[in-house]
Amino acid sequence: MATEARRKTGIEDRAALLNLMPRQEEAARRRLAELVESVAAKRPPTTSFSRLWILGSLQAKVTCAYLAYWLRSRWADADERERLKSETHLKAALQLLGTMGYLRGAVMKLGQMLATFPDALPDEFARLLPALHFEAPAMHYAMVREVFLDEFGKEPHELFASFEREAFAAASLGQVHRARLLSGEQVAVKIQYPGIARTIEADLRNLRLLMQPMRLGEDWGNTVVKLAEVERVLLAETDYLAEASFAQTVRDSFTPEEGIVIPRVYPEYSTRRVLTTEHLEGVHLEELLDSAPSQELRDRYTHLMTVATTRMLYRTHWLLADPNPGNYIFMPDGRLGLVDFGCTRELSDEEWQLQVEVEDALLRRDETEMERLIVKASLYDSAEQMGQERLELIGRVIRWQLEPWLSEGIFDFGDEDFFRRGMEAMVEVMRKGFTRGMPVHIWTNRFILGARGVVYRLKGRCDFQEIYRRESGRDGCGMSGAATSK
Amino acid sequence: MRISEQAKQLCRARILEKAAELFAARGFDQTTTRDIALAAGVAAGTMFNYFPSKETMAMTMVNEALARGREEFQTRLDGSEALEEELFLLIGTELRRLRPLRPFLGPVLERSLSTFPRKSVCPEGETARQEHMECVRQVMRRHGFSATPEDVAGTIYWSLYLGILASWTGDQSENQEASRGLIDYAIRTFVQMISGTAQGGDHGH
Repeated sequence: MATEARRKTGIEDRAALLNLMPRQEEAARRRLAELVESVAAKRPPTTSFSRLWILGSLQAKVTCAYLAYWLRSRWADADERERLKSETHLKAALQLLGTMGYLRGAVMKLGQMLATFPDALPDEFARLLPALHFEAPAMHYAMVREVFLDEFGKEPHELFASFEREAFAAASLGQVHRARLLSGEQVAVKIQYPGIARTIEADLRNLRLLMQPMRLGEDWGNTVVKLAEVERVLLAETDYLAEASFAQTVRDSFTPEEGIVIPRVYPEYSTRRVLTTEHLEGVHLEELLDSAPSQELRDRYTHLMTVATTRMLYRTHWLLADPNPGNYIFMPDGRLGLVDFGCTRELSDEEWQLQVEVEDALLRRDETEMERLIVKASLYDSAEQMGQERLELIGRVIRWQLEPWLSEGIFDFGDEDFFRRGMEAMVEVMRKGFTRGMPVHIWTNRFILGARGVVYRLKGRCDFQEIYRRESGRDGCGMSGAATSK
Repeated sequence: MRISEQAKQLCRARILEKAAELFAARGFDQTTTRDIALAAGVAAGTMFNYFPSKETMAMTMVNEALARGREEFQTRLDGSEALEEELFLLIGTELRRLRPLRPFLGPVLERSLSTFPRKSVCPEGETARQEHMECVRQVMRRHGFSATPEDVAGTIYWSLYLGILASWTGDQSENQEASRGLIDYAIRTFVQMISGTAQGGDHGH
């Protein structure tokens, strides 16, 4: 009976997963399902992958969604032999991904990375991403207690007046619990999974090995560099004290009247693995949308989000490298809360310089210079070397990213045509495998996609140029290069 | 008589203290009973009245640490823990008490807790197993499982536990956090096995 019920649940979960996969290419979907099935059906022992699969876990969903796209891109021009080879690697990939299934934080993170890995986020992913941040299963409380003993030499209930045993949110590398300080303040306590840094290292090592035979062609070297970049940023994210310090910097750059709230950090309750911050009352994007907010409110939040992100970029040269709906708290009084600064990336002087140059070129409407900069950012020596098709397509993506900088007055981020054009261009870039570029563009692209995804769903508008001029301190209509969004 | 008993206890404690220092400083294998006797200021013959071997000394320390860990474990329970959590707390609390001995535990545990047939079984090693398993049995009973330490479930548990000890003893990560994941995984595997459910393993639903 139990076996039968399990089998049935497994089938239902698989059907549900299939529904999540892109529909356009029915054959690829079906073949992918078969491949996954063949891996998942192996018993005994039950592989981690089949367990993930049967549980319908988010990692599996995202991974599969990514793989489906990957497969499609492989199939676009390949001959039969190539297809078979791709399938073999895919099978190996699935098996290996299965072995990476234990410490879910890293896998979730990787799932997200994979989802956008070739720097593109199709529309389906935009809808999948929010789930990653709030549906994950939790570390049990006994584990949390042991982490506290290691970090503080005290149990949560000794340190706090009260501490909720169940996490209320999953953070990418940990989970967040509500608690109350002895002095009465409500706080959010983010706790990192033990050993996550090692897992990230191990998983990325595996991923490199895994991707090697996939032969990403001439861009393989670039992919290796990007993986190293991903690893560096993820490992930096494991240091919560660094995050605390960054959050403080951001906090200092806003005044209370501006309506943007960065939660206060409580250093005496924070360590490298535990981060305690003020708890902000409010709702996340989904809940806000469910309440059918007025256009006025949508616009207000869009304005605040744009101010917040552009200020971080222009004043500190920092990007929220992993923006997602979970970063935003829509507070009851119309203020916007910004939380979770773990995944951030500071632009180097050289990277910032490129931004400024692109901005100037756009400002002057200097197409020749724009082309030169696109070639440069794509790590080619000349337009000829880059090739016309690639140049045109990358140019299309960058120009889409920069459209708000060139638009006078109110910009409508909820415009479906605008959003679709961007997504289509990016999907096309991925299908063509035109992913070569500076490692920092992993984050700038994520930043833009994440942020645009949120304001698109919010159907919000704001006077982007006005905000840009004020935050950047530059006159006239300009832009800041491929890194800013919204 | 009472003074003599007290003196005995002090002497025993001194021997253990010096042995722990030497084990930690030189390693278990590099320390001889003669070194320990010298450091403790007792004659070798006298020392053997207390401890017949250095394995016995080391395992006595281990057992005392584990016993303190189990006592503490009982005080940490509030009755709301699931079986996985309770076992996780048991092992976590024991290991925390064992931590000061970690630098020299590898060869000690290998010799004293090995499940392979040996010429001489270390009685303290056997005590360690029995006491831990008795506690596990009580935990399982509280959660409605009636396995005895000798049956299949007990044997599998003990194998997993030895694997955890082996990993933890050699764990180079800060606070042995890498082993914490293993403990969780091992316990979930065990609970999954005795429950006959498909869940467990991953931090699962």
